[in-house]
Amino acid sequence: MAILEVKDIKKNFGNVEILKGISFDMEKGQTLSILGSSGSGKTTLLRCLNFLEIPDDGEITVNGNVLFDGSCGNLSDSELNKSRLHFGMVFQQFNLFPQYTALENVTLAPELLDKNRNRQDILEEGKVLLEKMGLSDRMNNYPHQLSGGQQQRVAIARALALKPDILCFDEPTSALDPELTGEVLKVIKELAEQHTTMIIVTHEIEFARNVSDEILFMDGGFIVERGAPAQVIDNPENERTKKFLSSIHRKA
Amino acid sequence: MFTTVTLSLLDGFLGTLRLFALTLLFSLPLGLIISFGSMSRSVILRVPIRFIIWVIRGTPLMLQLLVIFYGPGIFLGRNLWGSGSGGRFMAALVAFVINYACYFSEIFRGGIQSISKGQYEAAAVLGLTRTQTFFKIILLQVIKRIVPPVSNEVITLVKDTSLARVIAFYEIIWEGERFIKSSGIIWPLFYTGAFYLIFSGLLTLMFGFIEKKLDYFR
Repeated sequence: MAILEVKDIKKNFGNVEILKGISFDMEKGQTLSILGSSGSGKTTLLRCLNFLEIPDDGEITVNGNVLFDGSCGNLSDSELNKSRLHFGMVFQQFNLFPQYTALENVTLAPELLDKNRNRQDILEEGKVLLEKMGLSDRMNNYPHQLSGGQQQRVAIARALALKPDILCFDEPTSALDPELTGEVLKVIKELAEQHTTMIIVTHEIEFARNVSDEILFMDGGFIVERGAPAQVIDNPENERTKKFLSSIHRKA
Repeated sequence: MFTTVTLSLLDGFLGTLRLFALTLLFSLPLGLIISFGSMSRSVILRVPIRFIIWVIRGTPLMLQLLVIFYGPGIFLGRNLWGSGSGGRFMAALVAFVINYACYFSEIFRGGIQSISKGQYEAAAVLGLTRTQTFFKIILLQVIKRIVPPVSNEVITLVKDTSLARVIAFYEIIWEGERFIKSSGIIWPLFYTGAFYLIFSGLLTLMFGFIEKKLDYFR
């Protein structure tokens, strides 16, 4: 059974149609990358999955549970919060909480969401996650004391701490200096190898080719091409995909 | 003579301090509530509150003191504040609290709105409630940003308390001025300045300390 089923998601901002009907599904343990030019709607799609934007229409199902259904009317705050927890989100701008250390950033939400849980366990889990991110010597540093790449790895640990079904990345390396993207891409690749279910919006074509099981190419609010990396990146069928890829290659 | 003057100025300064401390105590939380109102999505709430802020910030505190003290007597036909110094103090306190709450609310609004949307979104995707987000994530960042403008207002408040003499509220300048009439000496009036200076100096040190305490994050 698919871990995620998205059916005919639509989203308008004012009069502008950003998503014109997006449908796809993915299996547990898969890594799915979404490519496309700016304004194609890929970030909006990710934000809809995390309910940072509420879709105007469509259906989102995780593990067979319908989280969102266009006809279900307004969701309450607590329903939204519950639905959101199926997804983790790593932002382009990291969005770490500046007044908390790296470790506190990771443990804050688990502590607040379940007050009955043993604090010591949460702390241990947090430390293990940060070690996995290669940050064992940075746990007690505040975000402003960390490089962009380190901050983004803390943000990944923070998202993983809630054990989401699906981890989403919104251009995780776009705000980083070129020499820092490697360390972030490396931990994402490791997560892919451990079969973490992930959706990655990215401009790093080579990275998407290496790490993904499947690629979606979006244009003008639609998915115009979908398939294995070798197919979509190396032998695109759609005109838009071809154009996009050749413009990227020219830049590189 | 010096001791007599000092003692009597101290007595006046106690009045100043009382008005100062109680104004802060009430206007800071009230300012926070007003700032939420002025940011409300509901027009019915937002527009009247912004109107009140405009009126309060747009007219002199001196005038507000007079209106609040004499207003009830004129418009309601009875003196709400009662007679005597207790009533005058209450009237002064109400005027100061309303005035400073409006100024503080604008500082709070600026501070709250300066926090990036990303902080709210990061809290949201972690499943935090609105209350948790405000108290655990936003509030401390706001406090850090508003310490300098708030310290400005607080120091202004120390000196503004002298305006309350317009409704015959007994404070330090009133006391200092009395010596001109009673003893024909003017230096006690200048001496009051020393009290203001020392007190605002202490406040400056305190706010500097708070700023330093919050220096551990950016």
